[in-house]
Amino acid sequence: MKKNRKDQEEFDGLIPFNDENSEASNDDQILELLGSDFVRRGTSRRDFLKVLGFSFASAAVLASCKRPVLNALPYVVQPPEITPGKALYYASSYFDGHEYSGILVKTRDGRPIKIEGNSLCSFNKEGTTARVQASVLSLYDDTRLKSPSEDGNQVSWDSIDAKIIAGLAEINSQGGGIVLLTSSILSPSTIRLINEFGGRFRNFKWVQYDAISYSAILQANDICFGKPVIPDYHFENASVVVSVNADFLGTWIAPVHFIPGYAARRKLDNGEKDMVKHIHFESGMSLTGANADIRKKIRPSEEKILLVDLYNKIADKTGAEKFPGIPFKEDLADLADKLIASKGKSIVVSGTNNVEIQIIVNGINNLLDSYTECIDLNNNLNIASGIDSKMDGLVNDLNNGNVKALLMYNVNPVYDYPDANKFLTGLKSTELTVNMSDRMNETVGECKYECPVNHFLELWDDAEIIPGQLTLSQPCISPIFDTRQFQDSLLKWSGNTMVYHDYLIANWQKSYYPSSGFSDSGKFWNTVLGNGVYSYKVTAGKPLSFQKEGLIKAFKAPAVVHAEGFEVDITESVSLGTGMHSNNPWLMELPDPVSRQCWENVAAISKSDAEKLNLQTGSLVKLAEGLILPAFIQPGQAEGTISAALGYGHTNSGPVCNNVGVNLYPFIKISNGNRLFNFDTDKVENTLKQTKLALSQEHYSMEGRPIVRETVLSEYRNNPSSGNELHEEFEKSHDTLYPDVKYDGFHWGVSIDLNSCVGCNACVIACQAENNIPVVGKDEVIRKRIMHWIKIDRYYSDTPDDPKVYFQPLACQHCDNAPCENVCPVSATNHSSEGLNQMTYNRCVGTKYCINNCPYRVRRFNWYRYTNNKAFDFNSASDLGKMVLNPDVTVRERGVVEKCSLCVQRIQEKKLQAKLENRTIADYEIKTACMQACPSEAIVFGNLNDEKSKVSKLYADPRRYNLLEELHTLPSIGYLTKVRNDEKLNT
Amino acid sequence: MARSFKIGIFDEEEKFLSSLRSLNEQEFMIYDVFTPYPIHEVFHLLKRRSRLPTAAYFFGLFAIVATLAFLYYTSVIDWPIVYGGKPFNSFPSFIVVTIILTILTVTILSLALFSARSKLFPGRDNTIFDRRATNDKFVIVIDADDRDMTKAGKAGSLMKDQGAIEVLDKEFESINE
Amino acid sequence: MYNRKIRGPLIEGNKTLGQITEDVINPMDVSPGMWWFLAFGLASAAAVFGAYCIYITVYKGIGTWGVNNSVAWGWAIVNFVWWIGIGHAGTAFSIFLLILRQRWRTSINRAAEAMTVFAVISAALFPALHMGRIWLAFYIFPYPNTRGPLWVNFNSPLFWDFTAITAYLLISVSFWYLGMLPDLATIRDKTISKIRKTLYGFFSLGWTGSSRHWIRYESLSFVLGGIAAVLVVSVHSIVATDFAVGIEPGWHSTIFPPFFVVGAIFSGFAMVMTLMVIIRKVYKLTDYITDNHMDAIARILIFISLIMGTAYLTEVFVAWYSGNEYEMFTFFRNRITGDYKIQFWGMVVCNALIPQLFWFKKMRRNWMGLLFVSLSINVGMWLERFNIVITSLTKDFLPSNWVSYTPTVIDIGVFAGTVGLFGVGVLLFMRYIPMMAISELKGVAHIGSKIED
Repeated sequence: MKKNRKDQEEFDGLIPFNDENSEASNDDQILELLGSDFVRRGTSRRDFLKVLGFSFASAAVLASCKRPVLNALPYVVQPPEITPGKALYYASSYFDGHEYSGILVKTRDGRPIKIEGNSLCSFNKEGTTARVQASVLSLYDDTRLKSPSEDGNQVSWDSIDAKIIAGLAEINSQGGGIVLLTSSILSPSTIRLINEFGGRFRNFKWVQYDAISYSAILQANDICFGKPVIPDYHFENASVVVSVNADFLGTWIAPVHFIPGYAARRKLDNGEKDMVKHIHFESGMSLTGANADIRKKIRPSEEKILLVDLYNKIADKTGAEKFPGIPFKEDLADLADKLIASKGKSIVVSGTNNVEIQIIVNGINNLLDSYTECIDLNNNLNIASGIDSKMDGLVNDLNNGNVKALLMYNVNPVYDYPDANKFLTGLKSTELTVNMSDRMNETVGECKYECPVNHFLELWDDAEIIPGQLTLSQPCISPIFDTRQFQDSLLKWSGNTMVYHDYLIANWQKSYYPSSGFSDSGKFWNTVLGNGVYSYKVTAGKPLSFQKEGLIKAFKAPAVVHAEGFEVDITESVSLGTGMHSNNPWLMELPDPVSRQCWENVAAISKSDAEKLNLQTGSLVKLAEGLILPAFIQPGQAEGTISAALGYGHTNSGPVCNNVGVNLYPFIKISNGNRLFNFDTDKVENTLKQTKLALSQEHYSMEGRPIVRETVLSEYRNNPSSGNELHEEFEKSHDTLYPDVKYDGFHWGVSIDLNSCVGCNACVIACQAENNIPVVGKDEVIRKRIMHWIKIDRYYSDTPDDPKVYFQPLACQHCDNAPCENVCPVSATNHSSEGLNQMTYNRCVGTKYCINNCPYRVRRFNWYRYTNNKAFDFNSASDLGKMVLNPDVTVRERGVVEKCSLCVQRIQEKKLQAKLENRTIADYEIKTACMQACPSEAIVFGNLNDEKSKVSKLYADPRRYNLLEELHTLPSIGYLTKVRNDEKLNT
Repeated sequence: MARSFKIGIFDEEEKFLSSLRSLNEQEFMIYDVFTPYPIHEVFHLLKRRSRLPTAAYFFGLFAIVATLAFLYYTSVIDWPIVYGGKPFNSFPSFIVVTIILTILTVTILSLALFSARSKLFPGRDNTIFDRRATNDKFVIVIDADDRDMTKAGKAGSLMKDQGAIEVLDKEFESINE
Repeated sequence: MYNRKIRGPLIEGNKTLGQITEDVINPMDVSPGMWWFLAFGLASAAAVFGAYCIYITVYKGIGTWGVNNSVAWGWAIVNFVWWIGIGHAGTAFSIFLLILRQRWRTSINRAAEAMTVFAVISAALFPALHMGRIWLAFYIFPYPNTRGPLWVNFNSPLFWDFTAITAYLLISVSFWYLGMLPDLATIRDKTISKIRKTLYGFFSLGWTGSSRHWIRYESLSFVLGGIAAVLVVSVHSIVATDFAVGIEPGWHSTIFPPFFVVGAIFSGFAMVMTLMVIIRKVYKLTDYITDNHMDAIARILIFISLIMGTAYLTEVFVAWYSGNEYEMFTFFRNRITGDYKIQFWGMVVCNALIPQLFWFKKMRRNWMGLLFVSLSINVGMWLERFNIVITSLTKDFLPSNWVSYTPTVIDIGVFAGTVGLFGVGVLLFMRYIPMMAISELKGVAHIGSKIED
């Protein structure tokens, strides 16, 4: 009787799963497996757990119960390769004009639902950033443009094409200027296409425009090396890194590319005894500054003084020519020594957009032979090509009528061009204006014609991020709306009957196939498309020689003089970037890694300055006319400076971001042709008004508790377990009333290296995307109800003036002696035979006792119904937005506790696969979402019972400890101590 | 068949008790006495005793065994689950439930027994010999069946002498007790 | 034996049995007067507002409360423990005084037990309401079913709690009702109104006061009394395990069970005193609830308040002596000197200091004094529960999770509602049920009265 009931249970769990999994053979195998399994070890608990495992799958079906809206179904006739319930991965590439990654797109039933890094893409490997992870949600954004329109009235493509072609032809006949304004473009085929397109007109100009530009670096390299490029920085080869206001781990150029290299030089497992030494100068506390071994505060105006002095010190010691310059406030002698000591293995970078300063930086790097292996100008990064002065020129042309037709693609100058009004008047006075944007933004509606383009997951394209390293983009879903990709529009308007797909293939056949060594062109294309990547040998250009002239000029140029009052440093936000993704609720609710605050931009100010103005965190402070921001007392903020982030203050970009925060683009100054991301102000005043900030962490200090354990490299060298002495001690004093539970099969565990984790937040969004975690909105965040399953705690030590910063990813610790399990009256949470602390959502009645009894407070509660609830009008309240849901994970009901499951759905999937293939699971085969997204490979998941697995090796590392291990909760998450490359241990 | 009774009514505990004593010595057939509050001497005189505590004791034993058996069955045999690294049979944490359920069982069963034995349950109307018995009078009821009128008569007069405020003869068609 | 010279009669004014019946039943016959309707209106208004807040909670979700990801238990649990504490008065009163042979309890235990019942009902509301999915509350019953794990988790203090509360409610109701049987019969036999006759006739279960009834009645009360004594102690000990079993600093402490039981009796007796002061004033029952009675309760309160004071000291001492940094923080930097110092010191003053006023006979024998002290004890006990439940949760092991807690209108509303509910209950009790155990009073009427000597 009992047994029958259990079989019934098995089927309850299975049937929906098999419905999804329509391969009959498969079903039989699974059933057979379970059956045999059931007989073999009849312990009922295991069976129950297996059922639970499958119930996840079945629950998944419930999760996806809302059928996609009709026009979103990509296929009329289901193609053979689609098996409902089986995920398909497509290699593609992500480029939004600002950030690039080679990616794999996970699709379920024709819906892209998750983005992973493409391990074949050498640029970012498997790593991704929060923005890349979140980009899949912007595919299902209600504010996307749904059809072409003229003067705001919906029209058909044919009519709009006819009008535009005619318009262009007429303007051309009069020789009027035709300008194509785009974001940076790194697609060789598109560039070729644009040139062809332009070639058809007498007076055509193509302007690339970056909201946050690296114009100065491009110019500086042009002047110094005659090569206007952004070099590739090889942090993995560097032993000393000096960065000046360059947040290369958070926002500068390509963090996803730099983090792996940087982290590689900070990893100490497998016997490594050496680390990169990182010295950072900056005004506001950035992610990079937080990770630096030594961090020094400077005002933006001191940048040049610092670098000039540094140059002279080095020149002095290396016997090179010195230049006049005032000395920096601190003695840079030993810094210079450090750099020289590791000549050829050091990098100096500056984040400024000032050409002279960048030239001096080049000069320093040149003295240090950094261009040999650390900075590569030949295999440069094509990521940004916008030159500020060109855009300014365009705006002038628009205003004095030299431009008759303006075609815009993927730009939003009305929002992010400093002098937006000037641009707008120019735009208004232009005859033919076409805007090609994929979603609502400030510029949309200002042009005559709107030709909405596809989301990047709906289009064909290629990208050449580094000369010789290409990736392809392929559509993973057919266009959801009546949109057309930019390139197809260009083809149409240049009278070309080809579609871009064919154009792309043709171009590749012509440019790359011959040298590819493939015998058959079809095979070539399929392989490349399958892998998503292709690389060819670039003929190494002649060794670049450093031109002194520029340098001399640069030194001559007057140093930036600092006026009285504050210097406001305008920064890029790690979560929102330029602001083009601001309507993405995941990103909007992603706390800034340093300030741990979201849903608004703040004026970060130093403690002492705040006391002078008698400001508390949250009091509204006026920085300049029309710029009032809530103050945020930021430890480590340079005195006399205030930092505020871009990307907020939208007026017409969608419900999530409209009127959230303040837009700082209008406050960007233009000095000799370049946009300067800082300005002086002497009218900073306290408005005496208060507001509540959405802080996801309020307390700074660790209160001297051994939460993040750290040591310094010198200590570590002679004692690997230094800083972790407590571990031994606690281990000794662990007695127990009951015998420890044995795990005879798997025992899943995770190791997190606090030394290589830079706190970039990619894991947070990866987890949110994988596990259908709802967005709760500002008020709920203020009330401390943010739902993220994994969060990155940030602690400070030392003084608020000069703090040391710590990051600690914190998710469910999956304790073997889990305090939460004991107290749940309905046993909704209990322990699996594989060491997982599991939640049974449909059993939970929400007593919340487990939340109280979890010393790590990693359990989250559904305080309201967050889905289909207009009070929480984010992605999970709209039919379109819900298409991003992962069908393998239950959507939690109101009143239910949830938490990290170690991606049990992924574990189950791989286990089943392994069973069907009758093999054991390999190490690294199962990856949790956070592990997979982590660009620095700080998170390692695996089987603790298998001593050959990476995770058990890390568990054996003397640096390993468990959080709050004195409570004897026996977590399955281990942390590795943080090691600073510093002389003295801070107390 | 109708039954007749001789009913003595007292308004003072002492007089009531003394007459009850003498009635008892002379072995009159005392049917029952009714008092506004419990008087222990009455129980001795009429040899009334209750075995309810003994019953309750066995209820308790039963409850303890049953509860522990139930807990063991559910958490070890039927559906064992690991909670916080505890063994399936984590006896110490079963004790609490056992105590409470024992108390609960004993209470319910004793109440049931009480209401069954003394025939007390909602809507039940037992024969009331004299309404004042629940207020301020003490009532002695003598079984006066026909074969021995004289004896009943004697009892009546005896009670009068002992200071009963009145002595009544009552007939009842049927008796609910 | 009872010495009248010292203690004076239990019941003053040499009442005859008839008078006693009269005096007790009288309030049920005469119209209660304006104050009653006023109080009743107020109480029911509060109850209605509470009902509205409960509706909002159930309709929208627990999100309408002040709780958050770190402080998952807020006012609801504070109020729950507080009410349960008060709910200990009645049974404790009857049982312990019964065991201690304190016969003066007779004129008070009925009201005290009534109070217990209403308090426990109010208390039971909160654990139900604070559930995320109250409509699935039945999951907590251990019966064979087909959802997830078949049985509940018998290791969970919340399950113990659930059983304990259920048992306690059932038993205190039956104990109360059993005590009422003879009195209901008395009314049945005395009243002239037809309705009452049938009504009370139905509920008196055909009680006649025969020696057979009395003997069994006595032995049953003896049995119930015996086990209920165990229950009274265990129920609040179990409520204490909700915290003592928890891992939180300030919760994880072996002192909790006795500490909670004493605290419960403390608040219970205080509430009894509050009610008695009022009842004897408005119903002129000073002959039955004599100054000696109040005096006796006051003495008990001093004694318990000394225990409470000691308990507070012990807690703090142990926190320091353990050298556990988390405990240290919770007590010294969060409670004594931290964000919650007002609640902490409020608790100490109300529970440990103010009751010391009862050392003065004046205070023990003047109703204003009694009322003041008893009320301050009730406030103090609420603060104590606030301290235990909330301060521990706001700042525990990982500073990254530290938050502050503020209740919402809904929180307050629900609490007000239960107070209203309690009031309504008590007022109806005064109106329709004999406030004192008539039969027991008769049993002790002569003790210490002139009649004896």
